[in-house]
Amino acid sequence: MTTTTLNHDEAHHHDMPTGWRRWLFSTNHKDIGTLYLLFALTMLFLGGASAMLIRLELFQPGIQLLDPDLYNNLVTNHALIMIFGAVMPAAAGLANWMIPMMIGAPDMALPRMNNLSFWILPAAATMLILSFIVPFFPGGGTQINTGWTLYPPLSVQVGMSMDFLIFAIHLLGISSVLASINIIVTLLNMRAPGMTLMTMPMFCWTWLVTAFLLILVVPVLAGGVTMLLFDRHFGTSFFDAAGGGDPVLFQHLFWFFGHPEVYILLLPSIGVLSHVIPAFSRKPLFGYKSMVGAMLTVATIGMVVWAHHQYTIGMSLGAVTYFMIGTILISIPVGLMIFNFIATMWRGAMTFETPMLFAVAIVLMFTFGGLSGVMLAVVPADMQYHDSMFVVAHFHYVLMPGAVFGLFAGVFYWLPKWTGHMYDETLGKIFFWTNVIGFNITFFPQHFLGLAGMPRRIVDYNMMFTEFNVISSIGAIIFGLSHLLLLYIVIKTIRGGKKAESRAWEGAKGLEWELDSPPAFHTWTVAPQIK
Amino acid sequence: MRIPRYQTPELRNKNVRLAWVLGGMAIFFLVTSFPFWTGLFRIVGTQAMP
Repeated sequence: MTTTTLNHDEAHHHDMPTGWRRWLFSTNHKDIGTLYLLFALTMLFLGGASAMLIRLELFQPGIQLLDPDLYNNLVTNHALIMIFGAVMPAAAGLANWMIPMMIGAPDMALPRMNNLSFWILPAAATMLILSFIVPFFPGGGTQINTGWTLYPPLSVQVGMSMDFLIFAIHLLGISSVLASINIIVTLLNMRAPGMTLMTMPMFCWTWLVTAFLLILVVPVLAGGVTMLLFDRHFGTSFFDAAGGGDPVLFQHLFWFFGHPEVYILLLPSIGVLSHVIPAFSRKPLFGYKSMVGAMLTVATIGMVVWAHHQYTIGMSLGAVTYFMIGTILISIPVGLMIFNFIATMWRGAMTFETPMLFAVAIVLMFTFGGLSGVMLAVVPADMQYHDSMFVVAHFHYVLMPGAVFGLFAGVFYWLPKWTGHMYDETLGKIFFWTNVIGFNITFFPQHFLGLAGMPRRIVDYNMMFTEFNVISSIGAIIFGLSHLLLLYIVIKTIRGGKKAESRAWEGAKGLEWELDSPPAFHTWTVAPQIK
Repeated sequence: MRIPRYQTPELRNKNVRLAWVLGGMAIFFLVTSFPFWTGLFRIVGTQAMP
């Protein structure tokens, strides 16, 4: 893909609003992208604080700081805040910032809706936080001790905080669906002349698939929690066996959303890697078409294997066999993606700046998380691992490297473009190593804890699990504190530093690198011609 | 809230049309991919019985 004409208008600062109006009424994709990223960073620290409390409680056996219900409420909130508050908005922030610049569009297709998609989020976050706080007040009812899966009958029995949470999920869902619609319309209708779907940057492809997945599965979650709300307050019995309902129905509805949600979290990061690895290997991405094919295959199969989260409910042999085979099949397209990344690196002139370090860590650690996923897909094995710390270790190895490290890679890769300054590479590398080492110390021992029989979502544990829990908690402290360095690096880069060139990285390719660093308020007001 | 005039009316209509199609798809999945309405009708029917 080469650009022939770059008639973009970079001098349009004149209609840039100022003050609070710039942010509250913003229809500019870069400003809204910044808002998303700041929101995600805030929620990352909030979710991280709850994780710290969980690990402090588990530092030794017995009950130290938290009563059991509060512990489980923290587990619930940690998951919901990290998934809906941190990872998804961060990915949406990258999408907002980069997609229009990558496809040569002046902005998102529906800028007002873009504003709405973001500003629903703080309201949703408030409801989410209230669901945690309300039980502390007189008459506030019981803590949400269900975990993020909100299974009935427990979720029907807990206090009014569950209603706050259901409303928060509705708002988060509306925000996600609106943002997804905007991204799909932008990608399908706003590409620069000459840019076909199969020449579109891979990050855009990953977001196209992610956005479709969101539109397909988020409404199902919304429906599920609405039914829960009806069971709680309007006398229905969708999930109440005594009234002719079935609590397992909720599990199906939840995981019909919950499993594709894993790919929703992963795919944008796969998109980031598809830019970072070629840039720092000085080679084009290996197997563009096969990446697109693999992604579509993952999304398709990922939609129909949800019940592997529910093997223990007592499904028929035929059903569990189907879900097991389907789940294992997903490892083929995912393996193909990993193969393509390694093939891109193969004999490349590689350098290891912070984004590339994260990319290499993802390839190694996400593969590890995927392998324990194949173990969990096998029905007889899963019967042993189910609801143990092994599952906690597995999904953190999938989601931290697969989703969060990918977002970190993206932030470090594009930070020079956004701010116009190069970040401090030494600090970046210190952050990478403390983060990755802290992560592994935290979660690797949890595999052994799970295999030895330690259940998850339990505030106390047997003495025999003490050593690995101590190691895990020490790792968590290193891991958690390392994120303060990320905050410092980001603030330092925004405030100043070495001036970034338009093409901040020698091997970087794509329309976004044709623009100034930082780009003008309005970019590509005249579409570039691509041939 | 000022929006730069970078979209022609044709492009804007095309964008809004596609957004409605996608929004309709989301609503379709909301109301049909699980037995919400059938369950509700059943419950309503049961309550209506003497």
